[in-house]
Amino acid sequence: MNLFQAVRYFFREAAVNLARGWKVSLLAVFTIAVSLFLGGVFLLASRNLSGSVARWQREARVAVYLTPQTTGAELAALAKLAAAEPWVRAVHPVTPGQAQVRFRQVFPSLADLVSSGSEEPLPASLELELREEARDGRDLSAALDAWRHRPGVTLVDDDREWLAQVQAIVAVLRGVGLMLGLVLLGAAVFTIASVIRLTAFLHGEEISILRLVGATEFFIRGPFYAEGLLQGLLGGLIAGGALFGVWWGVHERAAGALVPSLLAAEFLGAEQMAWLVLLGALAGLAGAVASLRGETLRSAG
Amino acid sequence: MIQLFHVSKLYPGGQAALLELTFDIPRGQFVFLTGPSGAGKTTLLRLIFREEIPTGGQIVVNGRNVASIPQRKIPYLRRTIGVVFQDFRLIARKTVFENVSYLPRILGVDARTQRKLAYKALRRVGLAHRMNAFPPQLSGGEQQRVAIARALINEPDILIADEPTGNLDPDLAREILRLFLEVNVRGTTVLLATHDRETIARIGGRVLTLEGGRLASDRMVDGTELPELRLAAEGEREGERDDEREGEESEEPVAAPAADGTSEEAAMGGERDAE
Repeated sequence: MNLFQAVRYFFREAAVNLARGWKVSLLAVFTIAVSLFLGGVFLLASRNLSGSVARWQREARVAVYLTPQTTGAELAALAKLAAAEPWVRAVHPVTPGQAQVRFRQVFPSLADLVSSGSEEPLPASLELELREEARDGRDLSAALDAWRHRPGVTLVDDDREWLAQVQAIVAVLRGVGLMLGLVLLGAAVFTIASVIRLTAFLHGEEISILRLVGATEFFIRGPFYAEGLLQGLLGGLIAGGALFGVWWGVHERAAGALVPSLLAAEFLGAEQMAWLVLLGALAGLAGAVASLRGETLRSAG
Repeated sequence: MIQLFHVSKLYPGGQAALLELTFDIPRGQFVFLTGPSGAGKTTLLRLIFREEIPTGGQIVVNGRNVASIPQRKIPYLRRTIGVVFQDFRLIARKTVFENVSYLPRILGVDARTQRKLAYKALRRVGLAHRMNAFPPQLSGGEQQRVAIARALINEPDILIADEPTGNLDPDLAREILRLFLEVNVRGTTVLLATHDRETIARIGGRVLTLEGGRLASDRMVDGTELPELRLAAEGEREGERDDEREGEESEEPVAAPAADGTSEEAAMGGERDAE
């Protein structure tokens, strides 16, 4: 029997076994589907959050707020000074008037807050765009500290500080997802191993006959490996389908809301989906191999 | 064909199943293996098809030293040995065809040839018309004949049977023994374990007697029925040769009505699952 014939035989026998013991198989498929689905949810959320963080990082700026007494000439001089810094790509000086206009545009309901009174309610500021290569450098933090102590500067607001916090949250989310996914995948492998072992015991008589007539171990074990693989594959496909369904529901119904737009902006790529399904298949195969290792099958037969 | 040199089998705890067995069974011989229950008959058969390993001595089967054969080569040894048990060991959820065609299937024989081989083996035991039946639908004698067909499908060099008639009434037992003789006439070495001394005396032939794991005797018994059965088996063989010659001319089995109302060709029909 050549390899192609053997593989065809394995999968045909596995399909028959799955159909025969569909209730038990369903448990294994469900377990692996749930574990991959939950793992996929975390993967999807962390992927979307990572995408948002990366976008925000590209747009990250440093805002330097100046004292209310800063004149236009002082603002221009500081802007020139900032432009000379090696980590600055562009400088946008913002006068108190421009700040007011911007505030009214962003918060129209609060426009009254900046309209009343004779004093300028908002200070002048400098918005500094950062060079790509300087974003992660320690030198930048030192340079910003120097700017904090410069005369006429009241506050230096660095976007990177809150972005670092968001990044930490994403990392935690990814870690939790990975841990949860691994634990559930372990449970799924265990379930599949138990199902395959049970199937092997149910087929003990047939296995003994196969041995009797001269079947090789590869030929005897093949259908069980194929069964585990099919269970895992099926679980992976179900998980992928459920994940897409949930994502579609959130994406369509909650469009515009902050959290859904952050967590469900885009679905997983084709490659990631393929890996998810492949992971299910591999977990199923691992379960089958684990269940039939050593003398298990020999004692079953 | 089967040679044993000082073969012993001791189980953990020192209990001896077989002790210092030495004998030689030449190719084509028909041999009864007898002795009381617990004498070691089944253990000896299991050693021959390498279900167990001797703790001492050497067993040579078909030129292969069974005791030292590598694990991966055991399947190839077993493909040359047909084994029949008292309890038939048929899979109830598989059809007769599927039960019989295990070996061709694992050898990668195509479905059409599998059907031909199964048909041929079942015709030898008179059950070609029951290819699509399931074992529970057959009588005990028919089930044993299916088990024999499974053992014979690959024309093995050796046929081993462990109390094959133990569960059958005398008429059926005689029918099964007649089948073994017919197989032997074709050149297959037959080793048949039985504690039925009456049957041995009636049929005759070489008889190995085990007692307490030792070879108590190795003698020839002049049975009254052996010559008659041999003649009948040889006659049937001749008839079958004629059929084969006719079959070769027409290639396909004749689509004659079978006992259950189906044609033989229909009886050879495709693999079908019991579920």
